[in-house]
Amino acid sequence: MSSNNWGKWLLIVLPLAAAGLLLWPTINYSLLSSERAELAADTSRAGREALARWDVDNKEAFESARAGRMKLGLDLRGGAYLTLEVDVLKLIESSADAEAIDDDFRSIIEETRKATANSDVDVLTVFLEKFRARGKQLVNYFPAAELTEQAVEEKLRRDATGSVDQAMEVLSQRINKYGVSEVSIQKQGSRRLVIELPDEKDTVQMRELLQQTARLEFKRVLMDRRMVKAFYAVDAAYKAYKSGAAPVVVDTAKAADTTAKDVAAADTAKKADTAKTAADTGKANDPYKGLSEDEKGRRIIADFPLSYMVFGSVAANEQSQPQQFDLVGLKINGVTPEQLPEKGIYMFRIPAQKLQEFLKILAIPQVRAAIPAELDILVSANGNATKPGVQPDYYDVYGVAREADLMGDVIEDAYPSFDNSNQPVVMMNMNAEGSDQWARITGANIGNRIAVVMDDRVWSAPTVQGKIPNGSSQISGSFRTEDAMRLAVVLKAGALKAPVQIIEERVVGPSLGEDSIRRGLTSTGISFALIILFMMAYYAVGGAVADVALLMNILLTVAGLAAFGGTLTLPGIAGLILSTAMAVDANILIFERMREELYAGKTLKSAVEQGFSRAWSAILDSNLTNIAGAIPLIIWGSGPIKGFAITLLIGAIITLFTAVVVTRAIFQLLIASGATTLNIGQKRTA
Amino acid sequence: MDLIKKTNIDFVTNRRSFLRLSLLASIIGMLLVLGPEIPGLGLPRLIEPGIDFTGGTQTTVSFANTATTAEQVRGALGKAGYTSAEIKSFGKDGDFLIRINDVKDEASKVSADLVTELNAAFSKNGEKAVILLGADNVGAKVSAELATDAAISLIIATIIILLYVAFRFEFVYGISAIIALAHDVTMAFVISVLVNKLGILNLELSINSLAAYLTILGYSINDKVVVFDRIRENREKHRSMPLAELVNHSLNETLSRTLITGISVLAALLVMVFLGGDVLEGFAFTMFTGIVVGTYSSIYVASSFLIWYTERVKHKNVGAVAHTEA
Repeated sequence: MSSNNWGKWLLIVLPLAAAGLLLWPTINYSLLSSERAELAADTSRAGREALARWDVDNKEAFESARAGRMKLGLDLRGGAYLTLEVDVLKLIESSADAEAIDDDFRSIIEETRKATANSDVDVLTVFLEKFRARGKQLVNYFPAAELTEQAVEEKLRRDATGSVDQAMEVLSQRINKYGVSEVSIQKQGSRRLVIELPDEKDTVQMRELLQQTARLEFKRVLMDRRMVKAFYAVDAAYKAYKSGAAPVVVDTAKAADTTAKDVAAADTAKKADTAKTAADTGKANDPYKGLSEDEKGRRIIADFPLSYMVFGSVAANEQSQPQQFDLVGLKINGVTPEQLPEKGIYMFRIPAQKLQEFLKILAIPQVRAAIPAELDILVSANGNATKPGVQPDYYDVYGVAREADLMGDVIEDAYPSFDNSNQPVVMMNMNAEGSDQWARITGANIGNRIAVVMDDRVWSAPTVQGKIPNGSSQISGSFRTEDAMRLAVVLKAGALKAPVQIIEERVVGPSLGEDSIRRGLTSTGISFALIILFMMAYYAVGGAVADVALLMNILLTVAGLAAFGGTLTLPGIAGLILSTAMAVDANILIFERMREELYAGKTLKSAVEQGFSRAWSAILDSNLTNIAGAIPLIIWGSGPIKGFAITLLIGAIITLFTAVVVTRAIFQLLIASGATTLNIGQKRTA
Repeated sequence: MDLIKKTNIDFVTNRRSFLRLSLLASIIGMLLVLGPEIPGLGLPRLIEPGIDFTGGTQTTVSFANTATTAEQVRGALGKAGYTSAEIKSFGKDGDFLIRINDVKDEASKVSADLVTELNAAFSKNGEKAVILLGADNVGAKVSAELATDAAISLIIATIIILLYVAFRFEFVYGISAIIALAHDVTMAFVISVLVNKLGILNLELSINSLAAYLTILGYSINDKVVVFDRIRENREKHRSMPLAELVNHSLNETLSRTLITGISVLAALLVMVFLGGDVLEGFAFTMFTGIVVGTYSSIYVASSFLIWYTERVKHKNVGAVAHTEA
């Protein structure tokens, strides 16, 4: 075989290998999903344990397959899609000085609303244009620290862009709190957010979540040994609630269902801690002595439904080494909360995978009643990592005062910055009224911590270094730059009141989604099979060659779509149908030409060469015309039109390669292997 | 297999009649479809743009009791205060599409409320009588944007196709292609609106159905380019042949390819029309009609216009030359 032929083989094999590689996450994901579904179908205890083990063993492989897989659009799999718009104009209006607002200002706002109603242009830019066209001065309408046109404009600009980020932070926190997995929130254009939910059942609750306004509060951190007592009180209250209240039968069943998984997860998550507990428990009157590990785990969860998740530490002061303890271990060893040090820095944390369970218990009103009246138990908004470079694996648990010391609406501005030693910090300014209270609060709490709480989650709990007299504070800590940015966004949530509106919502119920996938896939499969059989019947060996190229075309187009992170939707399937039709057409054009040449008495070799070269201009021009048409659709078209055009573009480029280059290579290989006649369905007599 | 032998069909002699007829049919069809309702002739308003372009809410539900009628649903919704709801049956028995166009705010809540109301009205013994198949709530702002985006991107795509064909062939080829494309989309659109009105399939104009029309455009331009390519080639080969004859010769030469490609794609689409389910069937049907019309227009509209226009321009030029000589 000449080296030339090697090149042709590579031309056929390499793209297939590349397509396989690009589609591997998609294939792997469906393999893993069905493997998991099989395990999940077995609801016996052994089955649940197997599932829990599987989840632990395959976590990374599953996650990475899921991230890289080809996504299906809402129309093909069911789910919900929401577009939200942040009302930036309302924000501009409400940040103006209420007394300065006059008829001119109101009519400018009205004009801007009209001008921006039907497009996604930048509202602030339009507003400023209209404002300046009337010769108005920003400083006459907007309060600001520095009263220059430029400073006010910059502040407005910062607030406007910030309001979208802020809506995104607030909403993602709420969605995470609600525990919806696989929700995606993305920014779209200058002031929109697109939320995709995999399950339509969530939309009702989601709508409620989305339309609340954020509540930002400052609360004193109360962390001492009383916390431990509070955790035990919650345990008791939850047990009573479960045994006493009939309507929660479903809940208990679910809890029992997850026991095995919990034990397995808890085991892997906190090996070091449990090992220590086990060692400790040996000494005292262990009520669980003599029980199997499995039975013991179940009993512990039943007896300590909340505190089995909590791990604490206490240090005498900031310099000393904290001493670790777990709440179950304390009880078993007979250590009462009163025996813990009275003064000291207490910290509590829960493993990341226990977050939903922890919040669920604390959300029950009857259970909350067991917490001492002045105290509230809250969890940090974001997870932390025990080691740098790993996924966040724990959340901090805080005890804070139930009453807020100060509400977040006193904050005028907050922005990330750097301190003298170039560490990221967050700067925060308050209005006059807030500054007075802040001075009092900080003055009374020097050395204590104050928590920044939004929607009942703690974003930061800085220690007060000294009295802050003028409301201008600096929050420092072991921030990364992005943490500082997020905290600034959250702090502004208290001050900015940009309402969020749902402007588009699409829901596809699971029954429709499932049915449409099944019927869509079946009919598409039959259609393709029909074309493939037809080509083979009509063009014999030629048809078989074209079929190889055709399958390669579909595979590469889908792989290309997956590689660009595209989503396969119904319009995408239309694009695929069109590009496949054009690939078929390209081969038909070539074969018809080859037949003409063969009828004219040409040899196989020259008929093949002529067939390809004569058909080339038509194939090139028709595909390029479609590519040229697809590009503006990608640039200016919205969602579905864009989805169609992207698939068409990829498909048309690949058609030029597969239908011409690949089929030609196969024909040349056939000729090189000694073929002098070839059945492409022509009349025998020719 | 070789189904189509070498042909010598006369496609061009009656070109003017075909061209006139086709253009007349598209114009009348368009007027009929876009025009208002004419009560005197018993003609209802035919076009039903979906909420993607009008704004509003559209909820699809499925009743467990498949004998439920649209009247019963209307009655129940009227009682619940949704007097302006349009109710249309689609897909399986017991499946309904409920549309409310005049929702002021809280559009996103309506679908959930509707299902709750219907369940309350129809359920017996606390069983779920109605399940939500899907819901679309589109604000007026979004619908206006979708329509503008679609129009802008289509116009630019058309101009770029015109320029490309004009650049690769001649300007008159570009014009012929665009006129034929307009004809194809119009005819496919008119047929879809009529089929939708007759209630055979749900072919409402939505942002998704635009993709079907784009597919028609793509297929049709492909078909035209293949014919034009053959004309370009034959023009070099037979320099003295008159254009009409040249075009007819090229159409005959490409006929085998035109029919084989057309038949295989149409067969594939037919499978989707019958087996594709609610989602694909309408889509495939629109494409099917469009491809039939597009194949016809390559022969009788694009080629006919090409000959007519070229001859007209030539006549004028000849006339002008004659004039200066005199």
